[in-house]
Amino acid sequence: MRQSVNVNNENGLHLVPCSRIAQRAARFQCDVQIHKENRSVDAKSILDLMTLNAEHGTTLILEARGDGAAEAILEIVRLFESNFQEDDDQST
Amino acid sequence: MQLFQTESAEQMLAKRGIAVSPGVVIGSALVLGTEDFRIPQRFVSVDAVESEITRLHTALDSASAEIEENEQLASEQLGKQYGAIFGAHLQLARDPQLIEEIETLIREKSYSPEFASSRVLRRYAKVVQNLGNHYLAERATDIFDLEKRILRHLLGIEREELTHLTAPVIVLAHNLTPSETAGLDKVHVLGFATEVGGHTSHTAILAGALEIPAVVGIGNFLSDVSGGETIIIDGHSGEIIIDPDEPTLEKYHDTEEQDRSVNARLASLRPLRSETKDETRIQLMGNIEFPEEVDHCTERGADGVGLYRTEFLYLNRSHVPTEEDHYEAYCRVVSAFDDRPVVIRTIDLGADKIPGTLDHINWEGTNPALGLRSIRVSLQDLELFKTQLRAILRAAKHGDVRIMFPLIATLMEFRQAKMILAEVIEDLEEQGIPFNKDVAAGMMVEVPSAAILADAFAAEVDFFSIGTNDLIQYTLAADRSDPELANLYRAGDPSILRLLRTVIEAGQKHDIPVTVCGQMSSDPKFIPVLVGMGIRQMSVTPHVIPELKEVIRNMTVGQAEEIAAHAQKLEMARDVENYLRGELKKIVPG
Repeated sequence: MRQSVNVNNENGLHLVPCSRIAQRAARFQCDVQIHKENRSVDAKSILDLMTLNAEHGTTLILEARGDGAAEAILEIVRLFESNFQEDDDQST
Repeated sequence: MQLFQTESAEQMLAKRGIAVSPGVVIGSALVLGTEDFRIPQRFVSVDAVESEITRLHTALDSASAEIEENEQLASEQLGKQYGAIFGAHLQLARDPQLIEEIETLIREKSYSPEFASSRVLRRYAKVVQNLGNHYLAERATDIFDLEKRILRHLLGIEREELTHLTAPVIVLAHNLTPSETAGLDKVHVLGFATEVGGHTSHTAILAGALEIPAVVGIGNFLSDVSGGETIIIDGHSGEIIIDPDEPTLEKYHDTEEQDRSVNARLASLRPLRSETKDETRIQLMGNIEFPEEVDHCTERGADGVGLYRTEFLYLNRSHVPTEEDHYEAYCRVVSAFDDRPVVIRTIDLGADKIPGTLDHINWEGTNPALGLRSIRVSLQDLELFKTQLRAILRAAKHGDVRIMFPLIATLMEFRQAKMILAEVIEDLEEQGIPFNKDVAAGMMVEVPSAAILADAFAAEVDFFSIGTNDLIQYTLAADRSDPELANLYRAGDPSILRLLRTVIEAGQKHDIPVTVCGQMSSDPKFIPVLVGMGIRQMSVTPHVIPELKEVIRNMTVGQAEEIAAHAQKLEMARDVENYLRGELKKIVPG
């Protein structure tokens, strides 16, 4: 399953946003990929996410496969929509 | 996706910087600054792989636990947004892809967990730095931070300090402070390379002093190196090679050999006197900065120390050095030379560089080379000056010590300096402290005003020492560290030769010795012209003594005089230097 998201926060996907995405994605069994143009990275890897160099205004495609794919996408989209400000929560 | 194919990334990399200390050396990297740890071994035995992977995980777990503590502390004490930074570090430490890549290197290449972690993280840091996104590029620091943390846990808490080396290394750092450089353990540090620094930086001067091959001013390269990797430093060309391939290694092993044979030939000159073919004695003394360098001079049969720079006593200290600090340092040098002269130059630093100096003066100089520095500082801060003079006079009890005042521009300055010296002598006498009051006091001729009025100065000073570095800089108004001005900043400029002649003639007329220190006299091609103009003593970088001796022993004074006469007729610095280069080839073929 796939869905597109926009990077709206001012500094793009820098360290902290990447860490939030990786943290969120890691809670799911399924494989989560993020595509930018012709590159794709593992959403569970903060290092990989950083190398995506997704700046403000970029459109990305989320893709998840496996258990909980739909829920994973939903949660990650919510992260993007909240500009990663979202106060989380029950994470480890 | 896997960012790096472990095979294809194994590539030799060459970087160029400024060669500051000659020689070729091959060794294993110790990366400082971003990594204060030394990776003790690159490989582990195949049957240890599983236990090494367990060790990696233990280290990662304790690193994570530590980060979590930091996260909590930062959130509580500084605010959630700071905690989030450590939250991100935690994600880094738990990055599944990172861990997998490290494990793969351990499994497939038998890399030690230290080496594998360092390599993988450094490659990520490099990718992040090269994305062209400056905001992300700064995050490389966070990656280095994690690297440090993991290494610390892998290696136990012990930090490998530069002073506690047990195996030979090549030190790589963003920068080395003068005290770090000075503290380098010559037995174990084979050479070093730094990202910043120039020809005239203290690091550079020190590298020459320590006589270990060094290259500075390379620019960013530390993220391309992992501790333990093989590095070649070519102190002739200024090249460093990271992870060299076989043919390159072989080539450099040959160069190492050649260096050794040249050094052996020059070493054979050591017991021979420095005199021309027609037996005119030309004294070759050494320029030193540290007491440790006396060996470099004595090993090469130096005729003494013609320039002992004392700045190191003031740099990288939180306090102004005490009289005893000075005294001890001077005694170490003086005692090594018995009756050969040691010329101690009083401090030659800007007021801004001396701890606690002239705090009451609001130092706002915009042009340090023309500002409050050197003798000008000494004459304003009498306590500082007198402390140094006392120590010099006391050390003079143990050998042939001479005092040299730098940057003298006017007669008034020299007279003031002499007056203060006289006061110090009186104080010491009153206090009954042993010292030598008959110490020769001379001056550096490095400000054009002093060269022009050499005649007037010569009547009052005990000796001249021509400091060509500053003399050229001030005469041609060209900063010697500015590469754009290399065409202007030339020792062969006719104006410089003219000033040298003025100073030498004044010295001859008043029968006082004239020495040339500064880079000019360390350059073999200038030896004939200097001797031809009447110079009989020079003070040079110790390691060039044998080479200069070879030039001197192969020429006659008559020949040198002819060369000097011709050189002084030429109109352009370039022509002078080309001519001198050609003449040098005739004197010392090859």
